[in-house]
Amino acid sequence: MKVTVKRWHAIAQWQWDIGRTDEHGDAEEDVCGICRVPFEGCCPTCKVPGDDCPLIWGECSHVFHMHCLLKWIGTVASKQQCPMDRRPWVTAERKVTTNGS
Amino acid sequence: MASDALQKQVATKWQDSFNRLNRGYPGISGLMGFSEAWAIAADFLYPRELGDPPKDFNTQKVRSAFDVLIQCRMLPMLLESFVEDMRRRQHLITHDVMEFMAEYEASGDPDAIGRLILRLADWYMAWAPGGELGHTLSSAYIVNFQTHIFSILPPAFAGGFKRLIAATLALSTEPADAAGPSSVQDSKLWTSFELLGLADRYESLIASVCYEHIENHVLETCQGKWDEPMLSTLREWMADKVVPWMLLPYGRGAKTTEEARTMLQGVGSRFDFHVCKTLCDLRTKEIFDIIIDYPESSPALYDLKECLQRVDQRPQLVQALRKLNKRRLLHPGADTKDILTQYVSIIRCLRIIDPPGVLLFKVADPIRRYLRERPDTIRSIVASLVVDAESGDSLVDENEPIQPLQGPQVDDYMDPNWEPEPIDAGPEFRTNKPSDVISTLVSIYDSKDLFIKELQVLLAQRLLAIKDGNYEKERRNIEILKIRFGEAPLQVCEVMLKDMTDSRRIDQHVQSQTTSIMHPTIISRHFWPQLQSSKINMPGQLKDIQESYAREYTTFKPDKKLRWLSHLGSIHLDIELQDRTVTADVPPLEAAFIELFSEKDQWTVDELIARVGPVDRTTALKALLAWVDLGVLKEEEDSSFRLLEQADISGALRPSGSRVIMEDEPAVVSVQQQQAEQMKVFWKFIEGMLTNLGSLPLDRIQTMLKFAPGYDRTVDQLAAFMEAARREGLVTVREGMWKLNR
Repeated sequence: MKVTVKRWHAIAQWQWDIGRTDEHGDAEEDVCGICRVPFEGCCPTCKVPGDDCPLIWGECSHVFHMHCLLKWIGTVASKQQCPMDRRPWVTAERKVTTNGS
Repeated sequence: MASDALQKQVATKWQDSFNRLNRGYPGISGLMGFSEAWAIAADFLYPRELGDPPKDFNTQKVRSAFDVLIQCRMLPMLLESFVEDMRRRQHLITHDVMEFMAEYEASGDPDAIGRLILRLADWYMAWAPGGELGHTLSSAYIVNFQTHIFSILPPAFAGGFKRLIAATLALSTEPADAAGPSSVQDSKLWTSFELLGLADRYESLIASVCYEHIENHVLETCQGKWDEPMLSTLREWMADKVVPWMLLPYGRGAKTTEEARTMLQGVGSRFDFHVCKTLCDLRTKEIFDIIIDYPESSPALYDLKECLQRVDQRPQLVQALRKLNKRRLLHPGADTKDILTQYVSIIRCLRIIDPPGVLLFKVADPIRRYLRERPDTIRSIVASLVVDAESGDSLVDENEPIQPLQGPQVDDYMDPNWEPEPIDAGPEFRTNKPSDVISTLVSIYDSKDLFIKELQVLLAQRLLAIKDGNYEKERRNIEILKIRFGEAPLQVCEVMLKDMTDSRRIDQHVQSQTTSIMHPTIISRHFWPQLQSSKINMPGQLKDIQESYAREYTTFKPDKKLRWLSHLGSIHLDIELQDRTVTADVPPLEAAFIELFSEKDQWTVDELIARVGPVDRTTALKALLAWVDLGVLKEEEDSSFRLLEQADISGALRPSGSRVIMEDEPAVVSVQQQQAEQMKVFWKFIEGMLTNLGSLPLDRIQTMLKFAPGYDRTVDQLAAFMEAARREGLVTVREGMWKLNR
């Protein structure tokens, strides 16, 4: 017997690749440390998630909604620090993990 | 022993009387003359048998005889003797009456009564003393004669009389083929009634005949006839048929048409009222079916409206409709969709009858309350909101302009056209100004959120089912709904639609890199309703397809990766067997199973489940049996399945032992399930606080739960939840204090 797939209409969810390999999925969801909204959602000022409301990776390994972080950095009180660990914020090069390839 | 004085007194009296009778004629010639005159007069007046040859009276002689009697002031005496004679001769009439009544009772023909009355009239004429003899005599005669007759007539006469009237009425209202003679007959009959005083005596009887006739006619012509206005037809019928008849009893003695009209006015309006009332009663009885037939039945509704203005029967209408609704609509056997359809029709119909909406408010209340209790009301309303071009049976009239939902309005007292609430409006009454049907339906519930949630679920189901990428219809629906509900609440739906567009664009890109037979819909998790979660692992080549697509996607969007919802979607595949090729469009689980059969020919259910992942047994069996139905697999005794490389020629499908009947599970979790799921989280909190604090009142629990993240329930919802928990025996309540049950 031979099974030939002609066409497959599949359903998938997209997910930010934040470099953590939890294959067990959504047990503990990752949220933006600033707005407490999941990464796959969108920051409070946006209406559409995904490419229109991207994430930003810091050298310190913390990840935020880009809009949230830029707003934070824009305030005087931030002193250009990461809100999580108070280290100076440095945007990281995109951390492409090697998993999945 | 009489004294002298007494003797003298008697003598004087005697002399007086003698003088009066003798009138000063010489001797007793005057007395003789008087005696002769008396004899003539008495003979003239004597009540004769009808058949007797009429005596020839010299009018002159009679006249002078009466003059003599009047001169002698003996008329009262004559009258007395006449009345006495009448009484003695009454048996003649009695005999006649009995004869006719016997005939009537034997045949039941009202004609006998008619002849009886004519006969009585003959008697009357025969015995009448004649008008020229003075008013006193004739009126005394009439009174006496009528008294006699009424005393003779047996009780059955009233019934017969009624039938006679009915017969004449029917005769005049039916399309008359012999109108000429019958109407002559009629007028003669009516003169007789008048003569004998029957018309006055039986006036209410005559009216009741007329009422009954009207009722019968209305029932006959109007029952079930809703597609044309009947009231005007009825009024024409009254004018053409009944009024000419009414001229006889009610327009007696009218000389001119003008006069007749004034005489008929009072009674005519009484009958017109009766027409309205009868029609109103009839339509009230039929109201439920009229509403079902709307809009074909709208003429009947306009009739009813007009009748209600004349007859005050609004409370009866409300009561009847409420009762009918309760009996025929608001019971478990009725489909929610049907109830909604009927409710919408009721709204439209009662708007016609009563534009201010008081009736509607009173009738709608129980329906709304009932609908609120039904679990699938929201779903039905939402489904009808999303107009399906093919199904066409939407609640909404497509011609109606789409307008934003309207909330309850506050009276604007600055409005110069402001009108007070109608007088029969209850204290609860809210003027819902001509708002559209959808607003009314949505207002069954206090919040719009439930609708939005349900709408999402529905939209998700429909979007995920789309295979050809054509979701323009859904987009159009959402645009329409945005007008109704406003932009903001539908933001989520907007994202869902955008996901669809994006998926297509991404797919185009991926296909341009490496062609794949896979065309996924990629969704933004948080913007879609919760989907049925299940993690099945696709085996063999299916996994390869998934992985290669995911790789391609990550190359295109380096920051993102895909997570497959493998159990959703559909796969179109060919199965090449030794002697045949089977083509099928199947859900992924079925595809996964058949893929496994390419590894070996025989599997048990448990083996398959072990390979695919967490699938419950019934679902697995169902998927396998789908293949059995297609003739690809065969079920063996030991709950294992074997691939049929060659078609099973024995053909006959064995009744399968493990066959299960199962509803197709929708991909999207329904709102209710979602809520129950969420509430489970909060149960932990409740359990915690009750453990720590013993017993708590409901509002305290609510206040504390508000600190919990994502808690957005009302006290009522919480109360319902706690009640459910109590039924399960988790908690107890005493005097408003909730406690863990242990």
